[in-house]
Amino acid sequence: MRIRRWTAAVAILVITVLAVAACSGGGGTSAGHGRTGGTATMAWVGASPNFIFPLAPATNTNGYNENLTTPLWPELVYDGDGGKAAVNPQQSLVSSITYSNGDKKVTIDLKHWNWSDGKPVTSRDFTFVDNLLKANVPNWWLYVPGLFPDGVASVATPNAHTVVLNLTHSYNPTFYTDDVLSLIQILPQHAWDKTSTGGPVGNYDETASGAKAVYAFLQKEGGQMSTFTTNPLWKVVDGPWKLVSFTSNGAWDYVPNKEYSGPDKPILDRVNNVPYTTDTAELNALRSGSSVTVGTLPLNDISQKGILTSEGYTVASVPFPGVAEIMPNLYNASAGPVLRQLYVRQALEDLIDGKQIVSKVYNGYADPGNGPVPVQAFPSWVSALEKSGGPYPYSPSTATALLTAHGWKVTPNGTTACQRPGTAAADCGTGITAGQPLNFQLLYSSGTASTDEQEAAIQSSEAQAGVKISLKPEPFNTLSSNVGACTASSHPASTCGWQLVDFGYDQYELYPAGNGFFNTGGYNNEGGYVNAEMNSLINATEYGSSTSAFFTYEDYAARQLPWLWLPLGSNIFVYKSNLHGFAPLNPISGGLNPEVWHYSS
Amino acid sequence: MTAYLVRRVGQAVVVVIGVMILTFVLIHMEPGSAARATLGPHATASRIAIFNSTYGLNEPLDQQFVTYLDQVVHGNLGTSYSLQQPVSTLIAQRLPRDFLLLGLSTVLALLIALPLGIYQAVRRNGLWDYLYTGAAFTLYSMPDFFFAILLIAVFSVQLQILPPEAPQAATVAGMLADPRALILPVVTLALISVASYSRYMRSSAIDTLAQDYIRVTRAKGLPERLVLSRHVLRNSLLPVVTLVGLSFPTIVAGAVIAEAVFNYPGMGLLFYQAATSHDFPVLLGSTLVVGVATVVGSLAADLAYAVLDPRVRYGHA
Repeated sequence: MRIRRWTAAVAILVITVLAVAACSGGGGTSAGHGRTGGTATMAWVGASPNFIFPLAPATNTNGYNENLTTPLWPELVYDGDGGKAAVNPQQSLVSSITYSNGDKKVTIDLKHWNWSDGKPVTSRDFTFVDNLLKANVPNWWLYVPGLFPDGVASVATPNAHTVVLNLTHSYNPTFYTDDVLSLIQILPQHAWDKTSTGGPVGNYDETASGAKAVYAFLQKEGGQMSTFTTNPLWKVVDGPWKLVSFTSNGAWDYVPNKEYSGPDKPILDRVNNVPYTTDTAELNALRSGSSVTVGTLPLNDISQKGILTSEGYTVASVPFPGVAEIMPNLYNASAGPVLRQLYVRQALEDLIDGKQIVSKVYNGYADPGNGPVPVQAFPSWVSALEKSGGPYPYSPSTATALLTAHGWKVTPNGTTACQRPGTAAADCGTGITAGQPLNFQLLYSSGTASTDEQEAAIQSSEAQAGVKISLKPEPFNTLSSNVGACTASSHPASTCGWQLVDFGYDQYELYPAGNGFFNTGGYNNEGGYVNAEMNSLINATEYGSSTSAFFTYEDYAARQLPWLWLPLGSNIFVYKSNLHGFAPLNPISGGLNPEVWHYSS
Repeated sequence: MTAYLVRRVGQAVVVVIGVMILTFVLIHMEPGSAARATLGPHATASRIAIFNSTYGLNEPLDQQFVTYLDQVVHGNLGTSYSLQQPVSTLIAQRLPRDFLLLGLSTVLALLIALPLGIYQAVRRNGLWDYLYTGAAFTLYSMPDFFFAILLIAVFSVQLQILPPEAPQAATVAGMLADPRALILPVVTLALISVASYSRYMRSSAIDTLAQDYIRVTRAKGLPERLVLSRHVLRNSLLPVVTLVGLSFPTIVAGAVIAEAVFNYPGMGLLFYQAATSHDFPVLLGSTLVVGVATVVGSLAADLAYAVLDPRVRYGHA
């Protein structure tokens, strides 16, 4: 559920606006918007979309597909309101979402929008999506067992613009709106409910077999890149843009959907999207006097900031809506017994100099990483404890004292080893043998200089208490393939050989809850963390509706250290000063709203 | 000659099948999971099961190979796990790009290296020979990414007279319509390979110049220009032909660094990304294409020998 938008392969989304035609296109002005018209070109580093049907199969987790499709078929709930990580009611397709019957009944009122072919967007379009997913899960890339559509017992459509969901559980309304409904894209039943190219449109989705046939047809068509712009299916949209070009090298262009019913009609004439193979290639384009007006700067290229500023660019940062961590494998054969000790994890966290990493590695462009909720991206969900710096500020002396108090002979810049094996309070702990050293291997994703520097800094600071960290960078995909989920009951050497891993970061939706991260069996819980109290607190954030429950969970997780918290570098954007509407940047949507962009006169 | 060709083609088929078997076994011995590499570290068990079922990865290895062979025989190289496109489509999109870029750079390198090698042979151990040798070795020893970035820094960033990217059109015709964008990548790849061609040419030409028939042609009063162009050039080409033949698979395999720096996704990047993401169908498809190219390049070099040197009689071998 949380793998989307910016997370794909940790490839940094670069939005580069090439004002190729900005000087020639358009003309005239509109009140309050400066000049209308012109062309903006967004450039993307690392990957390109390859699937246009919004309900991509489970085998296709390319997050760029969502970037391609969201401007065409926006989600029910629009994530991001100005600079705030919050629902934007004005731009959302829904006019209201009401929870009743103990939060088991959700009434969704749709705004009176139209599809680009003039037909109205109706509640039938919602049931179309629901029917397709019900018949075809788990083969949906955003499927999370138990949530949508599993958690929907029945759907009613009392009128053309109202949908009523009867849920199997009572959900926290904030969670359900922000993390579930915000992922649902409404699709045009009147145009897509068919099983073959030349076949008629019907109500095939109303039976399970029909829904399977429709889903199979749409998924087959959705992967035909050569027909993205010619297939009549994809020409029926309700978003602000229409797709007019898609080339095999991954470039695609939008023009305004003249029938768009939403509040912000596109001001530009055209938005082009250009793929870049690497950050270097994108930076070369930025610096070479081309018509680039916006791009991103990798944090390791932040030294270019002055040059780019002198060339008329504005530099802005936006925090990632996620949490960066080192995940400990609690069931690795040798390191697991050590890492299962809370005091060891506390000592390891005490030895991470977050402030120095933020300052020296990220040049100040980073969230401090005080706990499970990022302070900068989700200020309204940050507890007092996290705001104050978290429970474990950098303190080598505290780490040393902790280890010493638990039977370890601490040798700064040497190898700390267990001196008192045993299970008493002052002993090293269960499963730890006499003389066992505090040595760990840290796997991390290679290819980013700032990550290399961060891991080296951690290696150095951990050594102050004799904790020896050996670093092993690997390409992200290799890392991903080699790091398996390990639990008390299943920890084969083939997939549980890892000890510590840093994947980069994990992304939240609008509601930064911990389900899937720290609960038993959670899909992000590769390290096998199990804690009944944590499960209970997480459930309270998802199924209850108390705000204080969230902060209780947050502080508990911050203290229990299912993961070691790390600073999280921000995304740095560079854009020409004559482009307006790009800022303020939103942590969730990250500037992916070109319908409000315009050039100054 | 026909019998020779038939024999060589037969050998080629055996070699290519051998390459396929070896590649198939080796990549499946790679540690880790293709599903997790593609779906990400947090893929659920059900998603991994769907992935393995979709791509037949839950079948025994020998069954997977038989299935793959059957697909290949029917012209189907499979579907990329990560790019979700038919491998044949991906190769068809990218191979022409590399043919264009590396083909042009090879031609340019030869156009510089062949006369340069002969010139150096004629003027061997002179000032210009030393200077050209020094320049060629400097370029040869320079990492291509560094040289590429150097050229971009000068011609794109400082002087702003050439674009920093290779052509972005999807077709060869479209790329040829943007010749300015081809200059930097072609020059980068050409200059770093001039040294190897020119050194071979120089050595070979020195040998040729010492041959009796060259003395005879000169003694008969043939102008030096004709001696060099008709006799020295042709007879000195044999080692270079071998080199060009062996470079054919390189052209097909792409130039990963140049592709990355010049924003020019080709076979090199495709293969690199597949290698780091356990994308077996792409790895197998790319290896197959490069294997075929190696065999074809080698065969073409052998045939070129016969054209250049009539003493070679493959038909009677």
